[in-house]
Amino acid sequence: MIPTASMADIAFLLIIFFMLTTSFSPVRMSVDLAEATTWEEVEKTAAILAINPQGSIEVSDGIAPGTIINTMDELDIFVKEIVTVDPTRQFIIKADRNIRYEAFNGVYEILRRNECRRVALLTEAKLAAQP
Amino acid sequence: MADIAFLLIIFFMLTSVYSSNFGLQYGLPKNEDPANVQPLESIHVQIHALGQYTVDRRPATLPQIAGYIDEKLRQNPKKPVIVQTNPDVPYYATIEVLDMCKQLKVENISIPTGSEMEMWRAFMGGIAP
Repeated sequence: MIPTASMADIAFLLIIFFMLTTSFSPVRMSVDLAEATTWEEVEKTAAILAINPQGSIEVSDGIAPGTIINTMDELDIFVKEIVTVDPTRQFIIKADRNIRYEAFNGVYEILRRNECRRVALLTEAKLAAQP
Repeated sequence: MADIAFLLIIFFMLTSVYSSNFGLQYGLPKNEDPANVQPLESIHVQIHALGQYTVDRRPATLPQIAGYIDEKLRQNPKKPVIVQTNPDVPYYATIEVLDMCKQLKVENISIPTGSEMEMWRAFMGGIAP
């Protein structure tokens, strides 16, 4: 017989663990990230710029839900507003692994033009690699 | 109660798998005149349209590039690495090179923008560095 009396207690402990460790991304765009064997944890409050395989761009300041950007001018305004408030703010580029480099370069140029200092390229952990 | 608890556990287990918070961090340089940059003193890795690589203009595979960079870093640990990618190449190819540089603990990685490359070409008289 398996003792089940403590089952509910264990379940609640697991719930608390997952509630504390889970973080939800404000950007809903689904992308297939490139894999890397080296990585560092990115800031939870960083602004996010997501690029999907079709080249659509969704942005979020890290708190508000993501919005779709239609032109590069809109992206430029979004980046400028964030950098004006906090010049040291980190930007996360969450790009699909199969987009053409040109699509990444368009976003990267805008970050450079607005004198952003800290960028993280979001990747997925390659299995059996060092943390 | 226990059923609800287990449903919540399953929900958090599934959603936590999809949240990724890891990446390659990269400090961007100040915008400066390309005439002040010394590309000849750097290691220049190029990713070409068909997925071939060159390092300092010599064709090479990724492991060969890693060996080349490692050897140069032994002589000068602060040696900069410039990673230039063709606009048609898939983005993951750049990540592979950047990941390799991070593994080799390259301190100074530079990713020139398309317009910087154009300015460089103009400065070097039409020849890419």
